[in-house]
Amino acid sequence: MPREADPSNNEREFVLSALRENVRLDGRAFDQFRDVDLAFGEEYGAADVRIGKTRVMVKISAEVVTPYADRKFDGIFTISTELSPIASPAFEVGRQDQTEILLSRLLEKTIRRSGALDTESLCIIAGQKCFHIRADVHVLDYDGNIADASCLALVAALMHFRRPDVEVHGEDVTVFGLREREPIKLQMQHQPFCITTSYFDGGEVMLHDASLLEEQCREGEVIISINRFGEVCQISKYGGPPIDGLSILTCTNMALEKAKMLDKVVKAKLEEDEKKRDKGGLMAELRADNEREQG
Amino acid sequence: MADTAILLPGEEVLSESLPKSKKGTLTLGPGLRHIPPSTILSTTSGTLHVDHKKAALWIEHAHGRYLPAVGDLVIAQIHHSSAEAYACSLTPNTPFALLGQLAFEGANKKTRPQLKAGDLVYARIVKASKWEDTEIECYNSSTGKAEGMGPLSGGMAFDVSPAFARRLMMGTDKNGKQKGEVVVLEEVGEKVRFEVAVGRNGKVWVDSGSVKETVVIGRLLKEADESGLDVEAQRKAIKKALKEVGK
Repeated sequence: MPREADPSNNEREFVLSALRENVRLDGRAFDQFRDVDLAFGEEYGAADVRIGKTRVMVKISAEVVTPYADRKFDGIFTISTELSPIASPAFEVGRQDQTEILLSRLLEKTIRRSGALDTESLCIIAGQKCFHIRADVHVLDYDGNIADASCLALVAALMHFRRPDVEVHGEDVTVFGLREREPIKLQMQHQPFCITTSYFDGGEVMLHDASLLEEQCREGEVIISINRFGEVCQISKYGGPPIDGLSILTCTNMALEKAKMLDKVVKAKLEEDEKKRDKGGLMAELRADNEREQG
Repeated sequence: MADTAILLPGEEVLSESLPKSKKGTLTLGPGLRHIPPSTILSTTSGTLHVDHKKAALWIEHAHGRYLPAVGDLVIAQIHHSSAEAYACSLTPNTPFALLGQLAFEGANKKTRPQLKAGDLVYARIVKASKWEDTEIECYNSSTGKAEGMGPLSGGMAFDVSPAFARRLMMGTDKNGKQKGEVVVLEEVGEKVRFEVAVGRNGKVWVDSGSVKETVVIGRLLKEADESGLDVEAQRKAIKKALKEVGK
C-alpha cells in the first residue's frame, strides 16, 4: 500500500527548530492561513477551494427519491468523500485509507449531525417523495489541511446550490427545470467551519493551517468545528499526547476568529457570484428581443 | 540563449537549426526523436537548445518528474539499510536507488558511515537503466575522493522543480553570467554565509547555521522557481528578503 513519503530527518529537525524560534518555513505567523481562494462553477452547487497548494472541489446534486421508512418527513442528505491519486500518489482508487475515513466522518459530524442543512425542508410528500441532496467532495491537490479546505468547500457549495422548484397537486408532483422556474436555495440553519490546530512540543507550539510537511512533523492535532456565533459542533483529537483543558479553550477562541474570517470569505464570494449571474430576473433573461443600440 | 525556439509536441526541428557536425552524427537529448530517414520531431513542449561544439540538441522543459541519468548529482534520502547497500529514494513513490555500504570516501568494513532511515546524502548516479536498479555512490570510484559528496547533516532540504534544479547547476558562461538565469545563490552569498548542495532530482539542501537565514534562502529559491522570476525580479526579491533578516 503506498503511503506519503516521509520527510527526511534534516527536514523534520529543521521544521521543529524553526518553530521553536517562532519561524514557519513559508514565513507565515503561527495563526495565519495561506491564501484562501474560493471560486464557483458555471452550474449551481460547484465550489472550488484553494488554500495554498491544497485544492478541493465540491459538487452538489439533487434528485427525487422515496424517503426512508423511519424518517417520513425528512429528505436525504449524503456526503461522499473520495481521495484519488490526482491529489497525491499516496492515495489509491477504490481503497479507503485512514485519512479518507477520518475526513468523511469529520464532515459527516460537522455538517450532517450538527443539522447545518434543514432536511425537513427537502420533503415533498411525506413518506413518498423527497429530495436527495448529494455532495461529492473531490480532493484535487494535497498539501496539508484538507479537513479545513473540504469543510469550507462543502459549506460554500451548499450555500451556492439551488434545487429545482416543485409543485404538488394531490399525489402528483411536477418538478420544474431550472429554466422554467427560479430554482430554490437550500435552507441552511448555520454554517460550521472546521479549524485544525496542529501542536508541537506537547502543546507549546500551536499552528493553524499546517502544510503537508508541518503535518508530517506534528505531534497531534485538534479539529474544532465552530460556526460564526461561536457554537462548537464537534471537537476531535485523533491520538497524540494529551493537552490540557486550557489549551482547548485557547484553540476554540482562535478557531472562532478563523471561522468568522472564512465566513466572510464565503459571503463575499457568494455575493460576487450572485451579481455576476443576475441578469435582471428570469423574465429579462428569457426576453426574445435583442438589446437595442442606444442613441 | 539567443538561438532558442519554442517547440510543441510533434513539431519538426527545422534543418537550419541543426548543428553542423564534422563526423556527420548528431546527438539527440531528451524530448527529441529521430524518424528515419531525416526527420527530427519533438515529443514534448519546450525550448530547443543546441550545442554546436558537441553537435547535440535537446529540449528544455519545465514539466515532468526526475528520471535518473548517469553522472547526475542528486540528494538521496536513505529509506532502509541492507547487508550490502542502502536503499535510497531519489523521488517519492518510485523504485529505490542502491548506495553501496562502502561507497564513501575512505570507507572499509570497519569504518563506514552509519546512516539511519531518513538521513540525506549527496551522491552521484553511476548506473541508470530501465531494467535494473539505479545505483549511486558518494565518492569517485576511480580516484577514491569524496569530491564534495557524502552525508548531509543539519540544514534543510527544499523541494524545487527538476527544471529549476537543472538551471541552478548550469554554471556560468565566459563573462561570469549565470547560464540558467538564477542569481539567488550568488547574490545572497555575498551577504550571508551558507553551504549549499543542489540535487538534480529537485532538491536543494541549504545550511547557514541560522534558521532564519536558511528559511529566507529556501523561500527565495521557491519563489524564483514557482513564479518564474527573471534576474531583475530575483534581485528585487533578494534585497527585500535580506532586509527582513537584517543583512
